Amino acid sequence: MEKKVLTLNVNNQDYELYINPKTLLVEAIRDYINLTGTKRGCDTVSCGACTVMVDGMAVKACSVLAMQCEGMKIVTSEGLEVDGKLAPIQKAFLDEGAFQCGFCTSGMLMSAMAFIKETKGKPTEMQIREGIEGNICRCTGYNSIVRAIDAVVKGKYAEGKK
Amino acid sequence: MISDFAYLKPGSMKEALQMLKEHEEECKVICGGQSLLVIMRQGLVSPEYVISIKQLKDANYLKYDAKSGLRIGATCTHRTLEHSSMAKKEYPVLVEMEEKLASIQVRNWGTVAGNLAHGDPAGDPAPVLIAMGASVKLGSAGGERVVPLDEFYPDLFETVMNHDELIVEIQVPPRPAKTATKYQKFNLLDSDMGLIGVAVTTTMDGDKCKDARVVLGSAAPTVVRAKAAEKVLIGAKLSDSVFEKAGEAAAAECSPVSDIHASEEYRRHLVKILTKRMAKAACEQAKISG
Amino acid sequence: MNRYTVINPHSKFTVINTHVHNVDGIAKVTGRATYTFDVVLPGMLYGKILRSPHPHAKIKGIDYSKAMALPGVKAVATGNDTIGAKQGIWRRYKDLCDEQLLTIDKVRYIGEPVAAVAAVTEEIAEKALELIDVDYEVLPATYEPLDAIKKDAPEIHEGFERNINVTRHIEWGDVDEGFAEADYIREDWFRCGGQAHMCMETRAAVSSYTPDGKLTIYHSNQSPYYMQGLMAGVMGMREGDIRVISPYVGGGFGGKFELDGAIFATAVLSKKCMKPVKIVFTREEDFIASKRRTPMFYYTRTGVKKDGTFLCREAKVFTNGGAYTGMGATALYLTGFFHSFPYVWQKGYRYDGYRVYTNTLPSTSMRGFGAPQAMWCSEQQIEWIAADLKLDPIEMRRKNSHYEGYEVPGQATIASCGINQCYDEIRKWIDSKGKLPKGHAIGLSACGFMSGGIFNWFDTPYSFSSAVITINQDGTVELNVGAQDIGQGSNTTMAIICAETLGCKLEDVKVHSSDTDYNPADLGAWGSRQTLMSGNAVKRAAEDAKKQLLEFAYAHSGLNIIYDLDIKDRWVHSVSRPERGWPYEEIVRKALRGKGGQRIMGRGFYTPYRKGMISPAYSYMLQGVEVEVDEETGKIKLCDSMTAHDCGQPINHLGLIGQLEGAFSMAAGYGYLEYMPYEDGKLMNPNLVDYKMIRAPEMPPANIAEIDTYEPEGPYGAKEAGEGLTNPTAAAIGNALFKLFGIQIKECPIRPEMVVNALKEKKAKTGK
Repeated sequence: MEKKVLTLNVNNQDYELYINPKTLLVEAIRDYINLTGTKRGCDTVSCGACTVMVDGMAVKACSVLAMQCEGMKIVTSEGLEVDGKLAPIQKAFLDEGAFQCGFCTSGMLMSAMAFIKETKGKPTEMQIREGIEGNICRCTGYNSIVRAIDAVVKGKYAEGKK
Repeated sequence: MISDFAYLKPGSMKEALQMLKEHEEECKVICGGQSLLVIMRQGLVSPEYVISIKQLKDANYLKYDAKSGLRIGATCTHRTLEHSSMAKKEYPVLVEMEEKLASIQVRNWGTVAGNLAHGDPAGDPAPVLIAMGASVKLGSAGGERVVPLDEFYPDLFETVMNHDELIVEIQVPPRPAKTATKYQKFNLLDSDMGLIGVAVTTTMDGDKCKDARVVLGSAAPTVVRAKAAEKVLIGAKLSDSVFEKAGEAAAAECSPVSDIHASEEYRRHLVKILTKRMAKAACEQAKISG
Repeated sequence: MNRYTVINPHSKFTVINTHVHNVDGIAKVTGRATYTFDVVLPGMLYGKILRSPHPHAKIKGIDYSKAMALPGVKAVATGNDTIGAKQGIWRRYKDLCDEQLLTIDKVRYIGEPVAAVAAVTEEIAEKALELIDVDYEVLPATYEPLDAIKKDAPEIHEGFERNINVTRHIEWGDVDEGFAEADYIREDWFRCGGQAHMCMETRAAVSSYTPDGKLTIYHSNQSPYYMQGLMAGVMGMREGDIRVISPYVGGGFGGKFELDGAIFATAVLSKKCMKPVKIVFTREEDFIASKRRTPMFYYTRTGVKKDGTFLCREAKVFTNGGAYTGMGATALYLTGFFHSFPYVWQKGYRYDGYRVYTNTLPSTSMRGFGAPQAMWCSEQQIEWIAADLKLDPIEMRRKNSHYEGYEVPGQATIASCGINQCYDEIRKWIDSKGKLPKGHAIGLSACGFMSGGIFNWFDTPYSFSSAVITINQDGTVELNVGAQDIGQGSNTTMAIICAETLGCKLEDVKVHSSDTDYNPADLGAWGSRQTLMSGNAVKRAAEDAKKQLLEFAYAHSGLNIIYDLDIKDRWVHSVSRPERGWPYEEIVRKALRGKGGQRIMGRGFYTPYRKGMISPAYSYMLQGVEVEVDEETGKIKLCDSMTAHDCGQPINHLGLIGQLEGAFSMAAGYGYLEYMPYEDGKLMNPNLVDYKMIRAPEMPPANIAEIDTYEPEGPYGAKEAGEGLTNPTAAAIGNALFKLFGIQIKECPIRPEMVVNALKEKKAKTGK
């Protein structure tokens, strides 16, 4: 087995890794780049705790080969804040208490971000629910998360508003 | 645990097919890997070589013209199909099916072709595509061949592909006039794979059904056509009792398993109900369609 | 999207029950929060556990020489590397301490740890497992409690006749007299399924044993103090030589306040090779090998008068205890107790519970602690009785309910009870919905729950909860508690109570928890105890600190003796003339000077005294769930819900809503999704594809009508809101099906096939 050199761009930063090609994206992010916000909660691509954004798309990093992500822009929960300023979705999560134990939260934030970025106009409540369908939360019962996303898409955290 | 492999990254489909030929049984092709990585992690497959085709931009297409119909490229993702306004117009059932497939994350990275190649009888695309008379174009270093999708699955998780072949294109014929396809799966959670899935295509002639395809998912080792149910529908005049009879025929001719999710008896019951409902929905949609 | 209304709110607070952010929020929403799952120590090895493939077998020998020879393997441990202690959380009762976490003589369930490996990578550790040879002598096994109690059933634990692990008896009044007087008697058998905790963070531990004979453990748990005490017992060490640290905890739900294979195997391995060792369960391991909710068989017989007065009830319950006791003894008692809730039984109540060993995964506590099972049976039977007698189900419940001042004979005194208003609110909600669409129905379920337990089965010499507060010169506060935040927000709740009592701002309070080296002992997060018990300790510590501060303030103020002082929102002031005051920081600095430079320290602790047999305080609720059922397929859809709920005084506003919605999702799962079938001792669906977890599209609105009452024992009148809400939903769903079709489903979780079969049966019997 031949190890490969791979450059991954994560949260606007290039990282050069020397890895076994079977390394999953979630392993590259957590174990090689040491960004541990992204978690793992299953082995069957079911729980969504490993969700990150790749070129703006939400993907489950446990089910993506790191090798295939060269040249793409990867964003994790650590990359949501800009210069210490929280992203609207993070503020909304705080305001709605849209997390409890927090283990699913990084993945949930990324699914929410991707949904918000992709959605034009005002989505219905069911559309928001479907937007986070790939993410399991055992603690919150989802409704607070849906309220947080709804607040963001309704413009509560738009620039210029308090 | 995934076992070690050599990673190959061809620059073109031609190169990929050449690599496939060279490594034959010791290799696997990965695009999205949404099914492949799971079975590799479970130790069910341990290829020496993994050939990635994700980077082949030329294979990432979704084309339509009125004459040849829909063509889905090898690396086209579920999400591309789901979001295609062209597909929504011409093949709305494909968009509906994709909206309920797995999760957004899986649809963003996984491919329709990869899903078909995996051959899970509980998968969503195969029953719908078979109901629409789709075919797959298989490429190899030696050439290409087209296989109708309803002849593609000889057994559970098996396809007729040779070791040196991969799906380069999915072909869906243009929708005939007065024809509609409807699909529904039964599950407890919205985007779970179905305990049972039924896809029905009907072509109407006034109030009569001129042609029909009834395709069952999760009701047998492979996706199967319920030919007895089709016979009930073809030539029949629309009525609720016809749909009931079609459901009963489909339920009788399939061979579902009993497992922790459902008994064989209940699965047959679901086949009956879903076939009845999808046949009715397809006929009603076909009648009003152009 | 959700309605949250408060009924008769009383008391205006500065911090309590206001909308404040969770104090751990920034860490959790920015990816900064680290869990045991993330811990990496220098020189750390990765561990894996070898598990028994047999449900019942003797271990004749273990040969791990080949595993040790594999390059990269640094240690292999078996039960022979331990002191062989049989442990259990009911430390007071040695016969309930029946579990060796690395078993020596016998395996008793599929998945039981037999050996453990530590290696330089996880992959090597996993390969090494295949190189360990275990010589098993397979024994006959038994899987169901009603089989395991038969005379010829295989003996699972020596000396436990008929495999009966624990029995519990609760009785008051004269039940037989009650049945003699009853106009109507109904008896039913029910089956309650198990359930997996399914914490998002699986079991995880990193243990580091060092040459000074000390053990440091990072562990995902609900009580670092319990882990410290239990590990001392199984390692043969002093408690004080063990340090347990919980980085953020990814969920517990009742499954993480006992020792697990991860914490024990890592400690034993680390001691063997003197290196840190980490074990994280795979999701499959978590399903197979972390204890589950207790499956139960319920027989319940109820006698009533024709006007609906509840006279008496007799219940006999067999629980599937699995291979070891765990917390099963408590669940056995609580299920029997809460099966009487929330009603007064005029003539008497009698419960006999039998916990039976079987060769399956041990069952233990899970959110609700036996009460979800109790309500599944009780609340459905009560609905059927109302239908049999043609009585209004809400009014029938109301006339029999607990009330403030009621004494459950020999068991409990109800010091606060808002259930009567809960009935009003649910009635209002049902009326507001008007005529429901076809295929829809609303099902109801009432219940109540404990706010922590009074029993000291852990045999601790410490008070149940403690807190220490230290005030820095700038007015910031170090709040040192033993209460464990497992996601429910106890750090925030404790900070709120501290800030409200002391009079500082919430952002002044820094909460220190989850490290036994620094925190006082606290029994931890289970039984919904922390808001009441740890909250009381924090309130007392804050009162202690405030009293000391005010002593200086009085001296500083020079006010006439008739004026009293208080602190609110960083303002030390005269209560009758609040505009006369001084900044809190100023008083803090003066106090510091007055004490020779020593910071003000307040201490508080709480243990319940003379509070009956179970709990100092009880929450109450009535829940209504609207379901839609597809009659042809039996598929159930949850459309809407309303819970009228009494938790005394809510403390943590966002926390309360989160607990209600979260408990609902878990309880709904218990009611109609989370099927956990075993075949010959093997779990058939140990993964998230086949084990069905509710997701966002399936979750209905969880509206809340919060009935404020005042619980004298609780801090500011507060009582629990964490577990009680897991109790009613399964029965409510069942009752909706009864309302819609007249079918009576006696097994949970309800599956569509069961609905279809019940409808078929009904049609065959009645023709409709």
